[in-house]
Amino acid sequence: MKSTQYSKKVLDHFRNPRNVGVIENPDGYGKVGNPVCGDLMEIFINIGKNENNEEIISDIKFRTFGCGSAVATSSMITELAMGKTIDEAYKITRNDVADELDGLPPIKMHCSNLAADALQAAIRNYREGTKPDVEIITSCQLEIKVILGFDEFLGKGTYKKVDDLTEFNDKRILIVDNGDKSLELAINLTKITGRVILITSGKYMPGSKDLQSKLKKSDVKMLYESELLEVRGTDDVEKVIIHDYDEDNNYELFLDSVIILEER
Amino acid sequence: MDEIYMDYQAAKPVDERVLKEMLPYFNEKYGNPASLHTIGDQATEKLEESRKKIAQFINASENSKIIFTSSATESNNLALIGAAQRYKKKGNHIIISEIEHISIFNICKYLERNGFEISKVPVDQFGIIKFEKLKNLIKENTILISISIASNEIGSLQPIKEISEIAKEKNVLFHTDAVASESVLPIDVEEIPIDLLTLSSNDIYGPKGVAALYIRKGVRINPIIIGGGQENGLRSGSHNIHGIVGFAKAAEIMKREIDSESKKLKLLRDKLIKQILNIIPNSYLNGHPEKRLVNNAHFRFDYIEGESLILGLKDHGIAAATGSACSSKTLEPSHTLISCGLLHEEAHGSLLFSLGRYSKEEDIDKVLEILPKVIKRLRLLSPLTPPKLLKQYEVNN
Repeated sequence: MKSTQYSKKVLDHFRNPRNVGVIENPDGYGKVGNPVCGDLMEIFINIGKNENNEEIISDIKFRTFGCGSAVATSSMITELAMGKTIDEAYKITRNDVADELDGLPPIKMHCSNLAADALQAAIRNYREGTKPDVEIITSCQLEIKVILGFDEFLGKGTYKKVDDLTEFNDKRILIVDNGDKSLELAINLTKITGRVILITSGKYMPGSKDLQSKLKKSDVKMLYESELLEVRGTDDVEKVIIHDYDEDNNYELFLDSVIILEER
Repeated sequence: MDEIYMDYQAAKPVDERVLKEMLPYFNEKYGNPASLHTIGDQATEKLEESRKKIAQFINASENSKIIFTSSATESNNLALIGAAQRYKKKGNHIIISEIEHISIFNICKYLERNGFEISKVPVDQFGIIKFEKLKNLIKENTILISISIASNEIGSLQPIKEISEIAKEKNVLFHTDAVASESVLPIDVEEIPIDLLTLSSNDIYGPKGVAALYIRKGVRINPIIIGGGQENGLRSGSHNIHGIVGFAKAAEIMKREIDSESKKLKLLRDKLIKQILNIIPNSYLNGHPEKRLVNNAHFRFDYIEGESLILGLKDHGIAAATGSACSSKTLEPSHTLISCGLLHEEAHGSLLFSLGRYSKEEDIDKVLEILPKVIKRLRLLSPLTPPKLLKQYEVNN
């Protein structure tokens, strides 16, 4: 079966998704998935009461980044949950969502069927009153970590200081965030090459207010909640291994240069 | 609704002229070239005439070989496994690039399990191999380099002349897969010293199920399909005569029309790239701005996912392709895009338009009308779209 062989119902929900949008100051908020994997869902709920004085989902909205089935399952769960008591809504499973959509391609059952998880996260958020966006990782730049391969490739793609910007012409560059100097350098390098990636362990844009707004306007690509683990190559730098805290996994990124400024 | 077909890289229609040429070989001239009677002789004659046409298509010398196979994948298997087996006493090292077609990748995995050593040359951000690296990778025991003329995904053109010359100088065989480029880029194996070359019939508007491997004079490889000894013993199995006849006719037409067709396609493609980058915010071109196949336009768009983009375009009758993981069997994003330095989430938002013989300016105009709408709809759905861009979309409403 092709991964995109969808039922009529899936296609209908993809084409005309129900309850799209955001609820300002919702009673509950849930977010699951990761754009790296190709799916990210947000569910917003408001809670009301029914005639039996039970708590029900009185309003529900969603936003989704993902494939056809990711959009359709999000849309479907908002229909299923609307008006249900929160206990009933909490019991809706991934399989219920898939069944209501007349099935999903097998390969999509796990990766793009996260809507039930997102709704459960939103209900838990309401019940437990936890802050929806708990920051787990804080930016930490003081600790000096050993990055495998960095010293080995000094002068062959890794840099502790940068004197001449022009040698980075058209290069794919990774800069490790270790203070304002590194951010300024990242912004300056975008004039030389189209590919500048700034990696930071924090969850938010680093640096002073002024630098933050400059970074936002620039072409610097941000990698949040990530850490550089290793530099690899044969004669010179070819790729790096990056750890993603949010997903708790490692992945490869192909590039030409890695900069960790010594002077901050 | 007539579909606007913008996925020529995946499959091409058979040219009417080719189809007409093929028809008698199904039920009138149905002979087997191995037979000695008249109807068998007719088939032999046509088979050799077809072989000549394929040779002319790539300017191959008379003493070289054209071996007919069932697919470009089979040709790649024959080239790599056949050469590896033949030259294993000389060495066991093979060099490919990080962005080869999946068939080359998986053949090399197979060879690796069987004692061969595989090196992959990295590419730059445009998907062009780092030539100096390639030079440094060649060792005493290197027996073969296999690098495609162009990437089948992002269309980047490789420095084939330089690669073939360094291979010749170092006495290493050079194989190249020409499938992605053969409909827009003429090949001359006399001008460029290619030892083994993969060609496909469908990619020049011939029928599917037939392909070829060119083998330079003096280059020896082992067969991988054993049987009745057809094709000089290099590829056993009864000949697919009607397919081969179609392939040869397609090559004859292509050789004649390739220059004018490429010029036309480049004009259309340039318009498409220029306009899309111009009218769609946060859109980027993947691959090299100039050194790319003239029929290839490969983009990525921030904040949206490729499969939903394809579905959205499909609803408007536009056929295109994506490198997104969500559309693949393995759920892994395209290795080509990752090797160019893209992050996974960026590779998810990719879109390939490939143009061909029947592409018209109206098709481009239709895509330029529909694509921004589909992207806007998906961005309005996406939690990744920044508020500033959402506002911009609302203002333009």
